[in-house]
Amino acid sequence: MLGFTPGRRARASRRRLNPLRSLVISALAVILAAASGSLAYFLPAAMIAFNASGASIDLPSPSPTSILFSPTPSASSAPTVATSGAFTVLLLGSDDDSKFSGDRVLTQSMILVRVVPSTKQVTMLSIPRDLWAPLATGGTGKMDWAYSYGGARAAIATVQADFGVHINDYIWVGLLGLIRVIDVIGGIDIVTSNPVLDDYYPLDVNTKSLYGYQRIAVLGGPQHLDGTHALEYVRSRHNDLQSDFGRSRRQQQVLLAIRAKSKLLSAEDIPSLAQAIGGEIKTSISLDKVASLLPLAASLDNPANIHTIVLASPYTHGGAPDGSLWPSWGLILPLVHQYFP
Amino acid sequence: MIAKIALGAFLAVVMVVVGVGSYLYLGTRASKVTEPPQLPTASQPSPNAFRLPGTLVLEQGGALYGLSFGRFHQLTRPQGWMQPSFLPDGNLLVIKRSNVYSDVWKLSRLGQPLKQLTNNAAPRSSYDIGDNHWVFYPRVTPDGKQIFLSYDKPKFGYEVDLSIWSMPVNGPLKSGRVWTDEADAPGYTGGDLQPVPVPGGVVYTRYDRNLDGTIFSQVWYSNRAGSFGHALTSPAADCREASFNPSFKYIAMICTYGAQVSNLVIAPYGGGKIGRLQTVISNQMVAEPTWSPDGTGIAYLAPAIVAEPFQLWFIPVAAYFQPSPSPSIAPSGSPSASPSASPSPSPSPSVSPSPAPKVKPIQITQYNGFDATSTLAWAA
Repeated sequence: MLGFTPGRRARASRRRLNPLRSLVISALAVILAAASGSLAYFLPAAMIAFNASGASIDLPSPSPTSILFSPTPSASSAPTVATSGAFTVLLLGSDDDSKFSGDRVLTQSMILVRVVPSTKQVTMLSIPRDLWAPLATGGTGKMDWAYSYGGARAAIATVQADFGVHINDYIWVGLLGLIRVIDVIGGIDIVTSNPVLDDYYPLDVNTKSLYGYQRIAVLGGPQHLDGTHALEYVRSRHNDLQSDFGRSRRQQQVLLAIRAKSKLLSAEDIPSLAQAIGGEIKTSISLDKVASLLPLAASLDNPANIHTIVLASPYTHGGAPDGSLWPSWGLILPLVHQYFP
Repeated sequence: MIAKIALGAFLAVVMVVVGVGSYLYLGTRASKVTEPPQLPTASQPSPNAFRLPGTLVLEQGGALYGLSFGRFHQLTRPQGWMQPSFLPDGNLLVIKRSNVYSDVWKLSRLGQPLKQLTNNAAPRSSYDIGDNHWVFYPRVTPDGKQIFLSYDKPKFGYEVDLSIWSMPVNGPLKSGRVWTDEADAPGYTGGDLQPVPVPGGVVYTRYDRNLDGTIFSQVWYSNRAGSFGHALTSPAADCREASFNPSFKYIAMICTYGAQVSNLVIAPYGGGKIGRLQTVISNQMVAEPTWSPDGTGIAYLAPAIVAEPFQLWFIPVAAYFQPSPSPSIAPSGSPSASPSASPSPSPSPSVSPSPAPKVKPIQITQYNGFDATSTLAWAA
């Protein structure tokens, strides 16, 4: 018998390719492959970022030291900043070289940053590391001890209690973290306020002689700084009459320069950035919140809306134990509540 | 069956290609901010680009490069050479900087080392790193007999401030004289830098501090050793990096007015006094203005894009000259056509002047990264 039987035709038909089905399968394969490639590109960064971010911190409610805090700033004080959607972040910077172990590091830099998205205003208040104040871990001491006694939680609790502010999140950066961040974004442009010359600058980064010194000379004026020289500029305090206050001003300068440079970055830069800073940054800010903050950071471009505050005299004065500074809470707290309501 | 196998194989290949391709594509989408600057000799200015007259010497990455006839030529290897200036005989006066000290050298116009004029390394017997010294910004006097420079001597413990010194053109620095002794000044500011010998004295940048502790810079003039002289600009203007036209009738400098920008300003000059400041370029990161040998324009360094490395620019300045320079009483701090602004103490924001430039600057380079703390040397 010649020809196909109906059963053979059906089998042959099944073996033939259905054009529509082939097209769908091909499209799915292409999408799947593209997604896999993208995942491979971003996954290492996501893992590093996941490890660095979202650090769970049980933040206590602000409870200002009752003896020190005047709860009702005078009615004639300057108008407070609008608060719609505002949030406050505590930036912590530490010497985390091998002289120290684990989290037992001092915070060389403590900067309160308040961002008001509705008005695109940013306020940065540098807290002197040598401020003699009550610590959340008990007793009284220099502010920079808090982190070494109890990590980020203790540092946050101390600042909240002493300054009467509510801190939403924190970011901790180590020495190498700052160098790497600045290097990976290709350096920063800055007008250095003055030549920073230091004969006894710590030689403790990328070296075996942790207790050695080096000479540095960061010249004055406009210039492009890489991570190492930017760190020298913000870290040196030997050749500054104002010691930590001068350094605080320089730190605020560099933070603003980093923000300016970050506006040139794209999402595709995240993997190299994450790889560079892995392990040198810790934060309580979750990944999704970081993503939502990026457009906001790019929109904060009006220098007139960026306020920087350093608690120099008359807010603080010398003579406290261990070469530290006495706070003038009567002046500090109204100022803080003006900008951190 | 064969068709399905063929389709499967095809899809497998497509998936590999698309997967790898998307990975590589994302990599190409990364911004170029992390790419290191190109060497001047590797990214020459376009042949059709504006050509600067004479020879301009500038520094990138510790190496000196000469720009003449629109082409860069490498003069030295990257060994810490910086801050070049021309000697009357056409040779170069430069700084060679190491990690802990720096020295003045004389180089030939082609970059060959001729003579080391200072020796600032600590004695071998010393265990104190503070026994090393810095010297910066050497400039020869118009008569070619003396060199002015910034030198970190004397030092007091942690205080390392630079003073203005002069020394014979062939050294040694031991026989030099201190002009501005930082021992007599408020310390811990950085001191006095960027001396420029002028007829009758020296103009230099002086760092000082306000009552609130913030540091500012001023351009000063001194006509004798041992004297700070007097200020030519106000503290509020925060000016530095002075440069003069060939006849010494105009001064160019940068002023920040307390902001994180630096404006290029010029003013009439004569007899240790300057006239009204006039802003040429505002609200940019201008550095190291250097007058052309024919006096028609100013070369300077500035980023082409905010926060990027510094490129070479040129701006003709004839349009900014006043008919008859008439220096007024110093100091002068307010630029014309713009409000004076003081570096207000925190937390108040700073205000910057913003007059529109009359002449559009010409960008000479695009992909380099010149050292904005290193002077430009320019000869006809």
